[in-house]
Amino acid sequence: MTISGFARNFSPLRILTEGQIEDIHKGTLAVLEKTGLRIEHERALKDFDKNYCQVNYDDKRVRIPSGVVEECIRRCPSSFRIKARNSKNDMLVGGNTLYVSSFPGMETVDLDSWENRKPTREEFYDAVTVYDALENIHFMGNYVPWFGFEGLPPVMCIPEGFAAQTRRSSKVLKMGYLKNSEIFTIAIAQAVGVEAMVSCMASPPLTYYTEAIDALYRGIEADFPVIMLSGGVMGGTFPATIAGGTLVNNAEQIGALVLAQLVKPGAKVMVENIAYVQNMRSGSPSFGGIESSLHNAIFCQYFRKLGVPVQIAGSGFLSSKISDSQLGYEKGVAGIITAFSGAHIMYLCGGLFGELTAHPCQAIIDNDLAGMIGRFLRGVEVNNETLAIDLIDEVGPIPGFYLDKEHTRKFWKNEQFQPKVADRLSITEWIASGKKSTLDYAREKMKEILETHRPEELTPGQEAEVERILEEARRYYKKQDLM
Amino acid sequence: MKEILENLRRAILQYDKVAAESWGKKAVAEGIDPLQALDVLTSAIREVGDGFGRGELWLPDLVGATTAMNCALPIIEEDIKHKGKIQKSAGRVVIGTVLGDIHDIGKSMVSALLRAGGFEVIDLGVNVSAERFIEAVNQTNPVLLAMSALLTTTAPELAKVINTFKRKGIRNEVKIMVGGGAITEKFAKDIGADGYAPTAPTAVKLARRLIGLI
Repeated sequence: MTISGFARNFSPLRILTEGQIEDIHKGTLAVLEKTGLRIEHERALKDFDKNYCQVNYDDKRVRIPSGVVEECIRRCPSSFRIKARNSKNDMLVGGNTLYVSSFPGMETVDLDSWENRKPTREEFYDAVTVYDALENIHFMGNYVPWFGFEGLPPVMCIPEGFAAQTRRSSKVLKMGYLKNSEIFTIAIAQAVGVEAMVSCMASPPLTYYTEAIDALYRGIEADFPVIMLSGGVMGGTFPATIAGGTLVNNAEQIGALVLAQLVKPGAKVMVENIAYVQNMRSGSPSFGGIESSLHNAIFCQYFRKLGVPVQIAGSGFLSSKISDSQLGYEKGVAGIITAFSGAHIMYLCGGLFGELTAHPCQAIIDNDLAGMIGRFLRGVEVNNETLAIDLIDEVGPIPGFYLDKEHTRKFWKNEQFQPKVADRLSITEWIASGKKSTLDYAREKMKEILETHRPEELTPGQEAEVERILEEARRYYKKQDLM
Repeated sequence: MKEILENLRRAILQYDKVAAESWGKKAVAEGIDPLQALDVLTSAIREVGDGFGRGELWLPDLVGATTAMNCALPIIEEDIKHKGKIQKSAGRVVIGTVLGDIHDIGKSMVSALLRAGGFEVIDLGVNVSAERFIEAVNQTNPVLLAMSALLTTTAPELAKVINTFKRKGIRNEVKIMVGGGAITEKFAKDIGADGYAPTAPTAVKLARRLIGLI
C-alpha cells in the first residue's frame, strides 16, 4: 500500500520544554493515581481491579498506579493501518503523516440567510458524495455531514448516517455512539469489509459513562481502532489554566487507553482532543479561540512523545456562524497550528459554528485550506536541481527571466498549490466576472461534483446487508420505545 | 443585627461559602426576621446579576455568588417555614435538569437569578424524571416550570416531559420554559415549550414575560 495523507517534512512544533513536558507527565500520573476516574461500568471496574488498579465499587472510582499506566502506554502501537472500502483510501496512522477529516454539524445552513435547519435525506447523501470527491478530505469523521436528516427518529441518526457514508464513500469511516448504535454500525462496517474507528468519549471531569465504555469494548472486540476523546471546557469542566486542563484531559484519555490495553494488549488506539475554553459571558463553550490551539499543541507534543497517535477535533470547532473572515482566521489558525504540532488526524472540512452547523460548500472551501496546509507540510526540497544554481547563472540579471525555461515547466506545478475555489483574479477580471467570492465558486464546484462524481457503489449483496442491519436497528429501538 | 446582615451580604459578594453559611446560622440564632435575611441574599445576588448585565462581572462571579447564597439559603428558608412566614413572591417556579443530565451550573444560576428577581424557586436538582416534574407541579402549583438540558442526547427528554404533561391533560396548567447548551429557539418551539432562554439573565426576563409581569 502507499501512504496517503500529507507528509510533514519538518520537525513538529514543540511549545513546551522537555522539563515542562516531564511536569505534565508527572502531573497526569499523579491525577490518575491520586484522584482517579469515575467509571460507570461494572465490567470495566473488574478489569481494572484484576490488573493492580485501586477500585472503589461504591463510588466507582478507579485509581491507576503509574507503573500500570506506563506499561499500557508502551503496549500502544505507534502506527497502524485502517482499512477502507477502496484500498487507495486506507490510512496508515502515525509517524509524520497528517490525515484531514471532514467535520460535522447538527444541521445544515441556508447559504443566503445562514439560518440553520435539518437537511433532507437527499441533501445528506449529496453531501457525502461531495466529501467523497474532495481530494484533501482523507477520511469521514463521525456524524458527518450532519446528525441525521429530516424525518429520521433521533435514535436512528447514527446508524442511518453511517449507512449513508458507507454507501456513498469508499474512505475510512468513524462511528459515534448513542443507545448502543455501535452494535449496528460495527455490523455495517464488517458487512462491507472495512475497519472503522470507534469513539469512546469521556464526560469531563474524569468520568466515563456506561455507553462510552460499552463502545470501547465493542470496538476492541471487533478489532477496530478505538479513539479516546475528551472535550472539556477550561474554566467549566476543566481547570481554567491550560496546563491544568491538559492534566485532566490527559488523565481521561489515558485512563480509557489503559483499559483498552488491559483488555487487549496492543489494541489499536488513538487519543483525540476537543478541549476549549468557557465563554465567561454566556456559559457556553467558546470555540475558535487561540487557547484551544495552545491546548491542541501541547496535546500533540505530549502524546507524540508517548508514541500514541493523535487526533485533533478542536481545529473544526469555530464561533462564526457564517463563512466569513472570522471563520477563515479561526479555522486557518487552528488548522495550521494543529498540523504543525504533528497531529496525525485533523478535523477541518465543512464545519461552521461549533458542531451545530456544517455545509458541503464550506467543505469545498476548506478542501483548499487543507491543501495549502498539506503543501506547507511537504516543505521545501533542497537539492541540486531545485537550487538551480546553473540556471540562475544562465539566466543572470534582467533581461533574463524564468517563465520559458524547462526548469519552470518541470517544477512549478509541484512547488505551487493550486486552490480550486479561491478568487485569484485581477481586480478588473473580478469585477467583470461578477465579483464572485470563494463561496460562489464553491457553489459552482458542488454542482459540478454532484453532476460528475460517482462514488464507488456497494455490491448488491453489501447493500442488502446494510439495509438488513438498519431494519434490525429499527426493530431494536422500537422494542425499547425509542422510536 | 445590622452587622450580621451586612456580613451576610458581604459573604455573598465575596463568594465566601463558609462565611455565608456561618452568617446565615448567626442570623437565625439571633432571631433576625428571616424574610429580612432573605432580602439581603436576593439583593446581593441582584447586585452581582446587574454587574454581569453591565459587562463588569463574569460567569465565575455569578456562579461564585450563587454558590455562596446556596449555602445560606436553606438555613434561611427553613427558618421562614418554621416561623410560618410567607415569602412575597412574583410567582412560584419549579426548576430542574432533565433525566440523564447532571449539568447544574446553568440551572443553578437561573435558580439564583429567579430568586433575586422575586420568584419563589423549588429546585429539583438534576437527573429529574418526567414523573418527578409532574409530581412537583401537582404538589406546588407553580406558575412556571423551567427545565434545562445541556446535551443533544438529553434534549429529547424535554419533549418527553412536555408530552407527558399533554397526555395527562395538564399541559395548560403551567407555563414551560426551557434552556441549556443543546437547546435552540426552534427546538423549544418544535417541542411545544412556551419559551426559550439562552442565558441565565434572559431566563429571568422570559419568566417575567411568560407570567405577564412585563
